[in-house]
Amino acid sequence: MTISTLATGAAADAVAPAPRPRIRRRRFSATPWLFLLPGFILFAVTVVYPIIQAVQMSLYDWRIIGSATSEFLGLDNYARALGDEHFWLSFGNTVFYLVATIPPQIVLGLVIALLLHARSPIRPLLRVLYYLPVVTSWVVVSLLFRFLFADQGLINWSLGAVGVTAGDTSWLADRWTGMLAISALGVWKGIGWSMMIFLAALQGVPQSLMEAATVDGAGPWQRFRAVTLPAIRSATAFVTIMLVIGAFNVFISVYLMTGGGPAGRTDVLLTYMYQLAFGDLEFGYGAAIAVILTLVVLVLSLVQLRVFRDRDGVTP
Amino acid sequence: MKRPTRILAASSAVAAFALIAAGCSADGAADPDGDVTITFWGSYGNGGNSAQQDVLESTLIPAFEKANPGIQVEYLDVPYDDLLQKLTTSAAGDELPDLVRADLGWVPRFADLGVLVPLSQAMDDFDQLAERTFPGVLSTNLWEGDYYGLPLDTNTRVLISNPDALGTAGASAPPATFEEFEAMADSLDGTGITLFADGGLGAWNLMPWIWSGGGDITDADLTTSSGYLDSAENVATLQMLVDLYQAGQASSGLVGNEGAVSTSEGLPGGQYATILDGPWMTGIWADQFPDFAPVYSPVPAGDGGSISVVGGEDIVLTASSKHQEAAMEFIRFTQSDEFQLALVPTGQLTVIQELGEQQVALDPKLEVFTEQLATARARLAIPNASEVDTILNTELVPAFEGTISVKEALGNAATKIDELLAS
Repeated sequence: MTISTLATGAAADAVAPAPRPRIRRRRFSATPWLFLLPGFILFAVTVVYPIIQAVQMSLYDWRIIGSATSEFLGLDNYARALGDEHFWLSFGNTVFYLVATIPPQIVLGLVIALLLHARSPIRPLLRVLYYLPVVTSWVVVSLLFRFLFADQGLINWSLGAVGVTAGDTSWLADRWTGMLAISALGVWKGIGWSMMIFLAALQGVPQSLMEAATVDGAGPWQRFRAVTLPAIRSATAFVTIMLVIGAFNVFISVYLMTGGGPAGRTDVLLTYMYQLAFGDLEFGYGAAIAVILTLVVLVLSLVQLRVFRDRDGVTP
Repeated sequence: MKRPTRILAASSAVAAFALIAAGCSADGAADPDGDVTITFWGSYGNGGNSAQQDVLESTLIPAFEKANPGIQVEYLDVPYDDLLQKLTTSAAGDELPDLVRADLGWVPRFADLGVLVPLSQAMDDFDQLAERTFPGVLSTNLWEGDYYGLPLDTNTRVLISNPDALGTAGASAPPATFEEFEAMADSLDGTGITLFADGGLGAWNLMPWIWSGGGDITDADLTTSSGYLDSAENVATLQMLVDLYQAGQASSGLVGNEGAVSTSEGLPGGQYATILDGPWMTGIWADQFPDFAPVYSPVPAGDGGSISVVGGEDIVLTASSKHQEAAMEFIRFTQSDEFQLALVPTGQLTVIQELGEQQVALDPKLEVFTEQLATARARLAIPNASEVDTILNTELVPAFEGTISVKEALGNAATKIDELLAS
């Protein structure tokens, strides 16, 4: 907000002395389009074109070699996905990951942001520590978590030492415990990011409203419910939508922690798609799954935008 | 005499001009002297162990270039884990090199895509070269009646035992038969040592047991799996592994538990008594477990004898290569005694049968591997072999968990492989 206001202000200052702003408004000017062009070309080549190509591939039994003819299948690849048990298993695992990782990331991220919002001499240090997992390589932490959750790993040792379990859980050998371990990594790695967004949003909570609420006799919880939460609603919407998109894109952690095993039971949509395309050279079917994934994410994002917008209307 | 010479000279001059022109107008692979540069991709430097790459680049390629003036070889090392994906995308983009050192499981896949030259048609001396190699590894190059490559290096899996665990079990030698193997499980009961460990149920893991037990996965013409994979022999063999697993005598890595102690750690660490693995393990343990003295022996024999699975690499020529003659010259060089023996000390087993004795003389540890190779067999040479691994890894697990019978699990896998073979 501040930056864009400043920029507009600066532009206005620069234009102000010129004698012909009104004439320019009527004439077509190529200048803004030329500025947009490089970015648009980059976007078209690296994003739009691959999407169109993926949609095209999904309609064929796609042969990767240019000279080979790919057979046109119409919507067969899509029909195949709907009848493919493993597609639904992968879809279910993705949804499990979504449900298991998003609420903790939002709640814990917000709680930590609130705690770090208070003034404290070690606040910068704590912010760095909480943000550290976010910037650490997925590959490194996935391997680390694989060792933590190994049969003779630290998790089992700790649980055994405390007496919660016998310490002999084979976490990565079962669908649900495996997904739990993968989700634990997702939460641990993601909290810092949502915390950072919430922390930034908390700076924008109007201090005058807080003071007014205090004068009116509101306690901390009431102030949080009535002032803080509404003020950070747009940040909450942003975090939720981005986390949903992120959850559907989970890949590296699954690929490295369980490899989709045992017996493919911890496959998520992207690991299944990767195996189909690069393992089995079924690029057409893999592309169809990618398109379905895109549509699901698109619809979910639109629904979320709608939900958050409606609420904004009720509580302005 | 004089005129033909002149015509020859004239035509060769024209040819030279044409070559130069072609060289200039093309991508510059040929320089003005008429020299050609052939490109060669492989993963000799895999795992940071550069011994093989060093021998290739500082000894073998210079020797070839000296013997074949006018041909230069440019080697590009690609990490093994990236090579298949790089080859796939390069094939799609028509950017393949002249020669590739391909995992033997990939040859039918790329042959089926039509990006490889059938060497058995293109090379006049193919038969002479082919008959010197081990039949098991040669067969990995066969796709629809033609050979698309020649074996470059090979390996196989043998039984590797922990000597202390053998002692605990009261055995003086590693188990040589299925019966001795099963009996050893009883002696290890209650000692905390697991008899056997492996990292999955793919063809690489399972086929030594299936072949040694007298079974197979399909018929010889690769048309059907039903009636073969679910045969009585295979039911008995797999039942043995299932029984061991359920008795806690086979590691859960077998059924895909990534959290299980790895075979490379558990064998020297004393958790596992035996594993099946290749000749590269010696090098891995030399660094991390210098005191460990592994015992190598043939795969335990069942009704089918002691038969292991062939691994390794083939050298293939791409159809897009502009210097096929020069590239074939390099392929011939890879089949020479000089090339094959130079790589033995770096842990590469020769593919030439008659060099077996010299190989063992160079490295006595390779004796068991060399013997095992004589009967070792190749996995299914089909383009979608990776799907066979997925099927085995998925369909057989319920039998190990006890939710369905071994017969049923093998039947399910056979049905899926039938569909694969029919497609």
